[in-house]
Amino acid sequence: MRLARLYTRLGFGNPSPLLKQLPTAILFVIAIVVVMIAPGVQVSNQLAVSSSAIAIVVATALAAVLSRKESWRYLSLIVPTIDVLAVAALRYGSGEAISMFGSFVILPLIWFAAEAGRRFIVFGTLGAVVVSFTQFLLGKSVVVYGPEFMRAIFSCIVFGIAAVVINELSRQGRLQVEKVKRFAEQSRLMLAESREHAAELARSDAKVRATEQLFRGLWEAITEQSVIGTDVTGLIDAWNPGAAKMFGLTRKAMVSKRHVDDLHLKTELMDRARELEYPAGATVLNPGFSALVETARLGAADVREWTYLRDDGAHIPVELSVTARLDGMGETIGYLFVAYDMTKAREVARLKDEFVGLISHELRTPLSSILGYLELLRDDDEVPLSDGQLRYLDVAERNAHRLLRLVGDLLFTAQVESGKFHLDERTQPLGPILAASVESARPAAAAAGISLHLDVVDDMVIKADAVRLGQACDNLISNAIKFTPSGGAVTVGLTGPSPTAVITVSDTGMGIAADELDKLFSRFFRATTATRNAVPGVGLGLVITRAIARAHGGDMGVTSEEGVGTVFSMTLPIVEPAIA
Amino acid sequence: MIAGAPAPRVIVADDDADIRALVAISVTKAGLVLVDKFPDGSSAWEGVQGSAPDLAVLDVSMPGLTGLQICRLIRADARLSGMRIILLSAAVDDASRQAGFVGGAVEYLPKPFSPRDLIERLSVLSDRVGA
Repeated sequence: MRLARLYTRLGFGNPSPLLKQLPTAILFVIAIVVVMIAPGVQVSNQLAVSSSAIAIVVATALAAVLSRKESWRYLSLIVPTIDVLAVAALRYGSGEAISMFGSFVILPLIWFAAEAGRRFIVFGTLGAVVVSFTQFLLGKSVVVYGPEFMRAIFSCIVFGIAAVVINELSRQGRLQVEKVKRFAEQSRLMLAESREHAAELARSDAKVRATEQLFRGLWEAITEQSVIGTDVTGLIDAWNPGAAKMFGLTRKAMVSKRHVDDLHLKTELMDRARELEYPAGATVLNPGFSALVETARLGAADVREWTYLRDDGAHIPVELSVTARLDGMGETIGYLFVAYDMTKAREVARLKDEFVGLISHELRTPLSSILGYLELLRDDDEVPLSDGQLRYLDVAERNAHRLLRLVGDLLFTAQVESGKFHLDERTQPLGPILAASVESARPAAAAAGISLHLDVVDDMVIKADAVRLGQACDNLISNAIKFTPSGGAVTVGLTGPSPTAVITVSDTGMGIAADELDKLFSRFFRATTATRNAVPGVGLGLVITRAIARAHGGDMGVTSEEGVGTVFSMTLPIVEPAIA
Repeated sequence: MIAGAPAPRVIVADDDADIRALVAISVTKAGLVLVDKFPDGSSAWEGVQGSAPDLAVLDVSMPGLTGLQICRLIRADARLSGMRIILLSAAVDDASRQAGFVGGAVEYLPKPFSPRDLIERLSVLSDRVGA
C-alpha cells in the first residue's frame, strides 16, 4: 500500500513536471561540477554558463510548483522550453561546437516528443535546432556550410528522428494505456452490473419465497372447499386439506394415483357427455372426464352442480368450478376443480320449503275455523244478529281475510324464490283480464271516493295465466287506491308498441320518494309515504307483482313524483300486435 | 232432494276437531244424515268400509291415511263405487287440486272454505245421490 501511495505521489503513473525535470536537473548538477573541477573543460562564456544554471533552477522550481496542482499542468511545457534555452546557454558557454553538453537537449526533447500530437515532434526538433545553432543564431560563428554547421544539421536530423520515434512510441503507449483503461472500465461496469444482478436475484428470490409461503398458507387454510388439481388426463396432482376433509382421503393416497372422474357420480358424467353429444366411441377416450372439463377446455370458467362420490358410497352435492391450468405459453397443462359442499345449503332450502308449507297449513287451518264459524254466526237464522253485532262481525271477518291474504302472499313469495312457481298459460286477449280487475276494484274505489278509469284503445293477445296476471293487476290497482286520497283518480291503461304490451296503472296519489324507487320491489320494503300515512301492508305485493310479470317474460317499472302521483308500468310480450 | 227418498248418509274426517265440527254442522244444515266423524285417516277408512255411506267429506292432510289415499282405496273398491267424495285441503295449488280429481273426488274445497258454499255443494250432491 505504501509503495503504491509513493508511486502515485511521485507521479509515475502520470509523471509530474518535477519528475520529468529531475533528470535534467541532475545532469546539470553533474555538468556544473564537471565544469568546475575537470581540468580540460573550457568555459568560453561565464555568463552563459551561469545563466544556464539559474535557468535550470528556475525551471526546476517552476516544475515543482506546477506539480502541486493538476489544473496547472497545461503550463508544464514552459519547463522543457526553459531547459532547451538552458542547455543552449550551457553549450554556448562551454565551447559551442566542441561542448560536451549539447546532447543534454535529448531530455527536454523527450519531454516534448512524448506529448500527444505530431506537432510536439516539431517542438522537440526545434529545441535541438536552437541548441545546435546557438552560435549561428547569435552571429558568433559565420562559417556557414563548414563542418561545424554540417554537424549541427546532422545532429538536428538525428534528434528530429529520435523525436519522431519517441512521439510514436508514446502514442502507442498511450493507446495501450487507453485500451487497458477502457478494459478496466468495462470490467468495473460488468462487475457493478453483476453485483446489481446478484442483488436483484436475491430480491426476486425473497419475493418468490414470500409468494410461496403465502400460497402454502392459503392452500393449507382452505379447509371448507375442496381444491383438486389434475393434469390434462385427469390424474390428480394437487389435493388440498379441504379435499382431504371432504373425501376423508389423504394427499398421499390420491396424488399421482387416482383420476378426478373417479370422484364423480358416473351417471351424472354420462348424462353430461350425452348432453354434449360426443360422437360415440373412438374419438373420446374418457367421455366422463371430457364432459367434466369441456367448458374449461374451451377457455371459459364452468360452474355447475355435480355430485361427488365418496369411497364409502356417500353422495356429496357440490357446486363445482372447473378452470384450465395454463403454462407460460398459454397451453393447457391441466385443470383445477374447486368445489363447495352444498349439503348444508340444500338442507336449509329443504327446511325453508318445509317451514313455509307448515306455516301455510298451520295458519290456514285455524283461519278456516275462524272464517267458517263467523259465517255460521252470520247465517244463523234462528238467532238473528243485531246491526251492531253484524258490524263487529264485519271487522272480525275483514281481519281474518287480511291474515289469509298475508299467508297466501308469503307462500307465493316462497314459491317464487324456490322456483316452484308455475304458470298455467293460455293465449288470450289482455283487455278482459284488465277489465275484470278494474271491475272487482270498483267497490273499494267508490268507498274511498276515487274515480277509477279503464283506458284500453287497442286490445292485444298475450300468452298468460289469467289468474296470476289478474292477481298482479289487482295488486297494482288496490295499491293505487290505497295511496290516493279521496277525490283522486286511478287510471288503468293498455298501450304498447310491438312486440310488448304496456299496462299502466297511474294515480294522483301521495307519490314515492325518488331514493326509494329502486327498493320498491324488495321483500318487506315499505315506502316512507306508506308508513307515514299508515297505509296498511307488509311489503310483499310489488314483489309478487313483479315476479308474475317476469314469469310471463315481462318486467315492471315505476315513475313517481311526491305529492303528484305514481305510474306503475308492466311490460308483457305479445302474441299478436292488436286485434280488431 | 227428492221427496220421500231417504236422506244421503255422510261421514266426515278431519284431524282438526273444530273443522270436523264445522263440516258436521254444514252436513246437518244441508239436511243430510251424519253417520260418523273421524279424527284420522285409518279410522275414517274403517268407518267408510263399515258403514258404506253415500258421501264422504275428507281432509287431505290427516295422520294415518291421507284423504287422497282413502279416495283411491274407495275408488279401488267395487262395493263403494257409488260413493261421492269431497276433499278439503290447505294446499291451494293447481297440482294438488288436479291430484284430488284424478284420485276420484267430485269436489275439491281449498281451506278456508265457506260453510255456505259447502252446504250448497252437499245439497247438489245429495240430489244426485238421490236421483
